[in-house]
Amino acid sequence: MNAPGRAILLASTVVGGLIGQAALADTSDKRIALSNNYAGNSWRQAMLRSWEKVTGQAVADGVVAAADAFTTAENQVTEQAAQIQNLILQGYDAIVINAASPEGLNGAVAEACGAGVVVVSFDGIVTEPCAWRIAVDFKQMGKDEVLYLADQLPEGGNLLEIRGLAGVFVDDEISAGIHEGVAETGKFEIVGSVHGNWAQDVAQKAVAGILPSLPDDIVGVVTQGGDGYGAAQAFNATNRDMPIIVMGNRHDELTWWKEQKDANGYETMSVSIAPGVSTLAFWVAQQILDGAEVPKDLTVPFLRIDQDNLEENLANTEAGGVANVEYTLEDAQAVIAGAK
Amino acid sequence: MTALLRKPWLWAWLGALAVWLATATFTHGRGSAEVLSAALTFGAFFVIVALGQMFVITLGPGNVDLSIPACMTLAGTVAMKTMDGAASMIPLGLVLALAIGAGVGVINYALIRLLRIPPIIATLSSSFIFQSAAIWWNRGLRVKPPEALADFTTAKLAGVPVIAIAVVLMAVAGHVLLTRTIYGRGVVAIGQNMRAAHLAGVRVERIRAATYIMCATLAGLCGYLLSAFSGGAALNMGEEYLLSSIAVVVIGGTSVAGGFANVPGLWGAALFMFLLVTMLNTFGAGAGVRLVLTGLIIIGVIVAASGGKRGT
Repeated sequence: MNAPGRAILLASTVVGGLIGQAALADTSDKRIALSNNYAGNSWRQAMLRSWEKVTGQAVADGVVAAADAFTTAENQVTEQAAQIQNLILQGYDAIVINAASPEGLNGAVAEACGAGVVVVSFDGIVTEPCAWRIAVDFKQMGKDEVLYLADQLPEGGNLLEIRGLAGVFVDDEISAGIHEGVAETGKFEIVGSVHGNWAQDVAQKAVAGILPSLPDDIVGVVTQGGDGYGAAQAFNATNRDMPIIVMGNRHDELTWWKEQKDANGYETMSVSIAPGVSTLAFWVAQQILDGAEVPKDLTVPFLRIDQDNLEENLANTEAGGVANVEYTLEDAQAVIAGAK
Repeated sequence: MTALLRKPWLWAWLGALAVWLATATFTHGRGSAEVLSAALTFGAFFVIVALGQMFVITLGPGNVDLSIPACMTLAGTVAMKTMDGAASMIPLGLVLALAIGAGVGVINYALIRLLRIPPIIATLSSSFIFQSAAIWWNRGLRVKPPEALADFTTAKLAGVPVIAIAVVLMAVAGHVLLTRTIYGRGVVAIGQNMRAAHLAGVRVERIRAATYIMCATLAGLCGYLLSAFSGGAALNMGEEYLLSSIAVVVIGGTSVAGGFANVPGLWGAALFMFLLVTMLNTFGAGAGVRLVLTGLIIIGVIVAASGGKRGT
């Protein structure tokens, strides 16, 4: 390396150090807790691992003093409310929440705000006004699926919809977006709808059950994530043509897509929320503690995979896991700036 | 004819037939054979766990195994990860899944017998441990099953799923075990009156231990086959088998109070449960309507089945 190069490197190290120093001065003694309601699927496991990785580094770098993750065993509102009360008593400066219910935790969240604790909710958000929300535009996600299909299938045709878990608002939102997209594009008809509970085996079972009664010309399957591979398996078991199945960023879905792409040029797209959104919530909480002015409602970007970046994303996805992105402080600042 | 009407398993089969016919009428017969084939495949998984649950429930009030989902998940996860897609490891994976199931059964029974914890609480709390063990073992990553094993679980023989044929044979063995062996008669005797059974010379605790171990071993087997069938083990794969395993047993005409069981009803009820959801999906019923109707129809069949039993 020549001398000027080294000088630039040195200068950037100094600047980088200074930025680190700035954060260190303000939040290095702050403690952030993660209150998580559920850990029983691969998405949540990836979410917790991302949290561990990014916050572990942040603690080692002295950005914050602690960033501990707590998960409730039973996915119950009362249990998580009690957990939040414990976290307040333990003196955390900020609590990052993935909530069991949008309204059920409002009492505990209000208590936390009252005690001067910063509350940032993400994925499963809370409606209490004093908390920050990092929400997903699930409706747009559903609509994007139909818009993509409208692009690929100018003729339109029959669609099969795989929904999530009945009674959960995420399911209603995505489905509402899908139906909105169908109404707007005006060339599709949803001829069947089943609940796949976001689980591969449940989706496979439900699709296998309804398929025989559906018309032969299903051109597309709109999904909610975690159910695409199951749908493909169910179609595979029949002698129907494989429709365009929208995928949800799971490794098995992407692997199957890649196999089909190589074998017969199969085209589709895949969209979901990266589990690493927990790290975005962490940095937002850190920024609030740092005194930054942050709007109460922020939106998470989707992680969308298309035909041309499939290989790259598949290579970055852990075998058996979910395509993931871990967010940095700069990403969080960009999201905050975008919302202002 | 009246003898047939008194059979407790009749109602589940009638229910399955009625629901299937209703679906076929709605679709004008289109695809009704394929629906049946799908019902046989998915019903087979229900029957495997329900067979074990039936023996446990027959032991009498309070006996139930709530650790089935966690046991399935743990067995499926460990087996898939160990095999890691290698065909030569299929037998080892099977042995591991069965051994994990048996181990779960031993732990369950130990909690019930040694610590004197009621079975509902013992199996529910132990399931937390098994579920956590499954999470710890592979952090929810989905490992693909060996190709040959996956092919076996999805294979068909003259249109009939091979796995359904295997499980029918298993059910026949279960029927013989229940009605023709000292063990099976012992289970029924214990369910009717544990003290009387004990005084009559039935080795009550030995039979209870065997029953809990068998139930968990079957759950391990189901976890192994289901993960092979659906492309890998997932942490939430067993979830719906908790209530369905009990529902299939009860709808099948086995007394929830114990002491009275039958195997043919399990298959009828398993087909009924699958066909019912398929029918409501085909009708395009919304989720709310579907859940309400599922509840009402299940209650209807149970009432009809127990009404039939009162006639005897």
